[in-house]
Amino acid sequence: MALDERDGWSDDDLLALYARGDPVAARRLTHRFTPLALRVAQRMLADAAEAEDVAQEAMLRLWRMAPGWQPGQAKVTTWLYRVVANLCTDRLRRRRTVPLDAAPEPEDGDPGVAARMIAADRAAALEQALAALPERQRQAVILRHLEGLANPEIAEVMEVGVEAVESLVARGKRGLAAALSGRRDELGFDDG
Amino acid sequence: MAEDDLNDKGLEAFFAAGRENAPVPSDALLARVMADAEAEMVRPAEVAVLRPAARPGFLRAAVASIGGWAGLGGLATATAAGVWIGFVGLADPLDAGGLITPSLSVELMPGADSFMTASAEE
Repeated sequence: MALDERDGWSDDDLLALYARGDPVAARRLTHRFTPLALRVAQRMLADAAEAEDVAQEAMLRLWRMAPGWQPGQAKVTTWLYRVVANLCTDRLRRRRTVPLDAAPEPEDGDPGVAARMIAADRAAALEQALAALPERQRQAVILRHLEGLANPEIAEVMEVGVEAVESLVARGKRGLAAALSGRRDELGFDDG
Repeated sequence: MAEDDLNDKGLEAFFAAGRENAPVPSDALLARVMADAEAEMVRPAEVAVLRPAARPGFLRAAVASIGGWAGLGGLATATAAGVWIGFVGLADPLDAGGLITPSLSVELMPGADSFMTASAEE
């Protein structure tokens, strides 16, 4: 199948094919980049419906920029991370408050909860703690520790210097540690 | 207090859990994104329009060098006139009087005189 043959194609190649009207490239790009956009949006906004809207809007901008994309000039992922981050910032500024109750609470009230704690509960707790961080710290921590970007690329996405990224990540992690430390027992940590 | 906070190892356990439980796009979202992609996709006909204009071919360049299609028409007329002049063998092509008022007699009905003569004799 043509789609499988294109697994090894670069982002630039796929964008160029899409710009020439190739529907298979469109499908490949959709499956390659929509998850990325959704992940970042949901962690930034802590709202599934809003995150979907942002992901769709970011992808729409990808389709529209494809004909003018200059291969090799920048990474498509860096461009997309920045678009998603900016869209999230716009939404956060509009609503001003973060719905802390958007993330599901970990199971509670069960004496065996610590033993049965699963990664999903920790992920939910992390999502709550992330939502309480200042926006820039949250963004830096998400890109560094959940998306796995290197600091120079984060600096490019956030349009700040590398030192500023290091500072944002460090402060963000301190905030997360403070927020989550009270739940260590609940989440099955003994802090070795 | 700082000493009560999670250390990096403890935080990394949360990050790992977050990575494992990353949100995944629903089929409905993927379908909406694909629909946008198709709506925004440049059609092949539009790509042809967007391509730079093709370089003029040999014929187009040759016609342009003689003043375009009007020039070609004039050249064709002059060529036809030259052929005709050569065919009729005029000694002096500039003798317009000879061309305009030719002293030629045309016999429309060859043998008509003998036919008339025979009829009169009957």
